[in-house]
Amino acid sequence: MGWYNKRLAKSLWVFHISGSPCNNCDIEILDLLTPRYDVERLGIKLVGSIRHADVLLVTGIFNQKIAPKIKKIYEQAPKPIFVVAVGTCVSSGCCFKESYNRVEKREEVIPIDMYIPGCPPKPESMIEAVVKLVGVLNG
Amino acid sequence: MKANKIPIGPFHPLLEEAEYFELTVDGETVVDIDMEIGWMHRGHEYISEMKTFTQSIYLVERICGICSTSHPIACVHAIEDIDNIEIPVRARYIRTLVGELERIHSHLLWLGLAGHFIGYDTLWMWAWKYREPVLEMFEIISGNRNHYGMMRVGGVAQDLDSAKVVELYKHLDMIEKKMVMISKAAKDDPVLKSRLKGVGVLSHEDAIAYCTVGPTSRASGVPGDVRLDEPTDAYDLVDFNRIVLQNGDVYDKLVVRVLETFESIKIVRQCLDKLTTVTGPVLNNVKEISPGEGIGRYEAPRGEVFHYIRSDGTNRPIRHKVRAPSYVNIPSFKASCKGIPIADALITLASVDPCYCCTERSLKIIDKNHDPCSFDLLKASREKTERIRREINAD
Amino acid sequence: MAEVEQFIRDMGAKIHAKIEKKRRLYFNVSNDDIQEIAEYLFKKMGCRLSTATAMEMYHGIEILYHFSLDKTGQYFCPRVVIKDKKNPKVNSIASIIEGAVWIEREMFDLWGIEFIGHPRMEELLTINHPGTVKHPLRFKEAA
Repeated sequence: MGWYNKRLAKSLWVFHISGSPCNNCDIEILDLLTPRYDVERLGIKLVGSIRHADVLLVTGIFNQKIAPKIKKIYEQAPKPIFVVAVGTCVSSGCCFKESYNRVEKREEVIPIDMYIPGCPPKPESMIEAVVKLVGVLNG
Repeated sequence: MKANKIPIGPFHPLLEEAEYFELTVDGETVVDIDMEIGWMHRGHEYISEMKTFTQSIYLVERICGICSTSHPIACVHAIEDIDNIEIPVRARYIRTLVGELERIHSHLLWLGLAGHFIGYDTLWMWAWKYREPVLEMFEIISGNRNHYGMMRVGGVAQDLDSAKVVELYKHLDMIEKKMVMISKAAKDDPVLKSRLKGVGVLSHEDAIAYCTVGPTSRASGVPGDVRLDEPTDAYDLVDFNRIVLQNGDVYDKLVVRVLETFESIKIVRQCLDKLTTVTGPVLNNVKEISPGEGIGRYEAPRGEVFHYIRSDGTNRPIRHKVRAPSYVNIPSFKASCKGIPIADALITLASVDPCYCCTERSLKIIDKNHDPCSFDLLKASREKTERIRREINAD
Repeated sequence: MAEVEQFIRDMGAKIHAKIEKKRRLYFNVSNDDIQEIAEYLFKKMGCRLSTATAMEMYHGIEILYHFSLDKTGQYFCPRVVIKDKKNPKVNSIASIIEGAVWIEREMFDLWGIEFIGHPRMEELLTINHPGTVKHPLRFKEAA
């Protein structure tokens, strides 16, 4: 995989899905594309289809209605795909822990490779996470 | 005539939240629209009954990332309405300052996305670039870009010292200069005008029948604005205008938002002026909430946010009802989407600034013979813009 | 407040247990009168239906409608109390106010209150839900 990963790390294409967040993380992800942070200079591009993606960004607590759809999207993705969880919601449930509509273990819906904590995480920390991912891929 | 059904969603290729629409089309024309929601349902009202009053302010902050100070303001208004709690003058100015800054950043966000949907990405990049200084102002005020945690029952959590106010002035001057530039570019652009004028009209009668709020209704000539109808906080101490337009199309909704941004900048400037002179505490200590019920509301960027809190004298609410503005604006698609071409459906769906902002989805049309043919809504929308641009240039 | 006095004069016989506060008027109405009250407030006075709140109390299920008169900032809040907790039924106001369709569907979804005469009585938020969420905001022992 080493040869493949090195090519992959040059230009990561990301796809973003939101599983019941407060949509703040989603706005911050979009913010990364705009002139202030502009991650396209690092070869990162937000794409319109999961079939083109190398990295899947997920946000939110995954409510029970949306969880099967997230699973379906993950299954449609070409492998290998790296799942990055953005925000505290995915890692701990944030303030929605007591919700009746929450999936208990989000790792059972899709395997998650990396967590970015923060409510919402700052764009800088998201960039750092991506850089770390690139570092891992480069070996 | 056979009518085809077009499902949009629930997961769409790009950007924001999940939503499911079913358009019934007849050829190129939309005949009917049906919506299915619940993909984002987290049960706030249920969780809030387990939290104390102070905790529930933080909870309602996380209802929506863009209106993340409108919900707390409405929530503290509801709690203050139970006991008629007065808040200090300086706290009133700080509340209004934060609320109006949020309106600027939300309207800029919408302006950018509207440009993105019709294939005018320059506007998107511009608007979002000049949205950044607003977020920086939030960082100066509260320490965080989003989710500020500023509201408390009886005042605000943090004071602003005078060194910060000086910094805020600089940012505000810059934003105002850039807003003038963007608004000229957006309002006078011939492509934008011919693309949005007369599209997705929500008539005055429909706006009243569907009980719509905010810029959606104000673009249709319904003058409701909570800031002026029931002035709370510092809104009766500052000077600003009510923006009402009559046509009800997407272009008018754009103009309402642009003009409101200028009003907000005016309010923020007045608040900053007052903060340099008005001194005093920013938080009244509230020990307990007596039994009773209270209604709190606030004009969020998208319209009226409504909170109802019923207390039984303990430290938790026994009922906390939240009604966000998009909840009443979204059903009005049934009126505004009828009879428009599919290429215009996308911008019409985006025009009320729904809380699942980015209504970008690809569609699949399945006709009666079940021959699937792919159809991209965003592409159709952008192609129409391109066509209009060519026509205008040819003239 | 001239509007409030006018409203109380016209509808006085149908209003019970009135609570007046600054810019707020809470009162009880019976299930048979709610449509008439809603029509008066919406059509004649030009109020906007802000929303409606359902809540479960020990003496029954309450539905509190919030009508906002935008000109003055006045709120009219008629309250309907349903004693029958097992099988709650209320007259729908969706035929009078188009904007009430979603609000009543949500109450049917989360509390199981049935609205008589509603054009489309089905779940709003948990429609097509794969799990077992059913009327989540009701007391658990009552469900």
